[in-house]
Amino acid sequence: MDLLRTPLVGRLLRWRHARTLFQIPLLLLSVLMILHGFFGPSLAPKNLATTLSWVHFRGALVLVLLVAGNFFCLACPFVLVRDFARRFFRPVRNFPRYLRNKWISVSLLIAGLFVYELFDLWSSPWWTALLIGSYFLAALIVDSVFKHASFCKFVCPIGQFNFLASTISPLEVKVRDHAVCTSCHTKDCIKGRRDPVSPLVVIQRGCELALFQPRKVGNIDCTFCLDCVQACPHDNVGILARVPASELTTDVMRSGVGIFSRRKDLATLSLLFVFGALLNAFAMVSPVYAVESWLAKLLNITHEAPVLGVLFVFVLVIEPVVLLAIAVWLTRRSIDKSPMSLLVRYSYSLVPLGFGIWLAHYSFHFLTGLYTFIPVMQSAAAELGWQFFGTPLWRLTGLPVSTVQALEFGFIFLGLLGSLLVSFRLAEADAPIRPMRVFLPWAGVATILFAAAIWLLSQPMEMRGTMLGG
Amino acid sequence: MIARKQSLLFVLFVMLLAFACQKTAKPPDITLQYEIVPQPPRVGTVIINLKLTDRNGTPVSGARVDLEGNMSHAGMSPVNREAKEIETGKYSGTLQLPMAGDWIVLVHITLSDGQKLQRQIEVSGVR
Repeated sequence: MDLLRTPLVGRLLRWRHARTLFQIPLLLLSVLMILHGFFGPSLAPKNLATTLSWVHFRGALVLVLLVAGNFFCLACPFVLVRDFARRFFRPVRNFPRYLRNKWISVSLLIAGLFVYELFDLWSSPWWTALLIGSYFLAALIVDSVFKHASFCKFVCPIGQFNFLASTISPLEVKVRDHAVCTSCHTKDCIKGRRDPVSPLVVIQRGCELALFQPRKVGNIDCTFCLDCVQACPHDNVGILARVPASELTTDVMRSGVGIFSRRKDLATLSLLFVFGALLNAFAMVSPVYAVESWLAKLLNITHEAPVLGVLFVFVLVIEPVVLLAIAVWLTRRSIDKSPMSLLVRYSYSLVPLGFGIWLAHYSFHFLTGLYTFIPVMQSAAAELGWQFFGTPLWRLTGLPVSTVQALEFGFIFLGLLGSLLVSFRLAEADAPIRPMRVFLPWAGVATILFAAAIWLLSQPMEMRGTMLGG
Repeated sequence: MIARKQSLLFVLFVMLLAFACQKTAKPPDITLQYEIVPQPPRVGTVIINLKLTDRNGTPVSGARVDLEGNMSHAGMSPVNREAKEIETGKYSGTLQLPMAGDWIVLVHITLSDGQKLQRQIEVSGVR
């Protein structure tokens, strides 16, 4: 199946200005959210910034990634503003070589998760609006200084989340027929096309994320911008269906990415994706407060930040180190490879489970609060004196919790299944004669994390901002 | 031409000044004291007792008081209930809080003369 060859959607996506068409509504929505966040009601459930960011955007994002692909990066409003700014000033610098990896994104993701919990971003329209505004500014500054899509590839934490999650997506932007690429000499898909008369004028961009289509494997680093589709003179790039997570089972050289098993930064990002999912879900259930109070008493601390710091270190450092060290030690009894190479290689096998946990968590908020944007929109319109939307229907919420909880467990189970399949395929490749010996330690890690996720999501939810003594 | 532009700017400035200096309706000077039962608050029925007094400390009687409980997280439906006057200037209402966490209760008050005001009560750490 090739999405670009489907009658209506395909035609729309092939249109030269399709991306802009998707970006404009999201840009307008972002502006609305910023304005309402700063000037609207200070209560999160009554504000568009908090409702759309933390309930609808995150939920829709993971569901679209599950059923299609990285279409949110395609419609990214930050890039639209950046593209507009680049009409006036063109960056001339390349992103520093030593920073061309995922370490900045790893740091920003950890910082983002920490700040989210510490300042209770979900409960503050003002901070949420500031965050959205800062995101626009950051994208603008980075990509005004550095060429290509440096912000998307090396900085944007949302982008990295999408890249990893899209390894599970059923769609991929890829070459239709590799034989056509063999005879292609222009390589427009990566170089782009320039005006033959004025070579400085770019008529069509090539891939700004340095993904050369014939050697591109999977969705990592692909923003679905479809520049390659527009650039290819042979109409040889499509959005093709594939087996979800299949790219995690191969360890070949990938254009613009390299070899997975040699990318410690990408493996760290993957582990953060997995353990961060647990941490983020943990912070929304009742037991977290008992743990935090116990920690605060134990350490004789009254401030939230150090307690939260200890919790982060435990979940993001100690827990993975212990679990993975045991798995690596057991694996080394069957394979003669360095511990680090095993750790990096098998880290990716946990990504499907991580995605399952994110999916369960975000879809819970999305589905249980599905219709809440309606009264918030009505209320925002009424504040401006527009009564045509009627009285806000505050009773509108979403699906019942019991229904959504069944879905949550289903998503986590699917994630576990994906992780087991990926680790088994890797084990088969590493130890063709006795794959089970290699598979079992990693299956054990995935099962422990699965059990932790199921336990977490079975706990009563407790939406709190006050952590200590509240 | 320049003189016309200057005149226009002057008129706009005066209009802006006039608009900025408009008197806005002063909200009534009402003090709200409250008590939440049980303490610490728990999921389920929570009683909110309110006492309204004016600037002289006189109890405010005959007001309509509506309680609206909201969670600190978006995506949740508010819970609403009217608080009834049980004594002169004292009002009491119950809210059914369906989830643990931080709740913010908006108290919508309509005084007997029709004036409206709103106060906010934080009910943190509902278990």
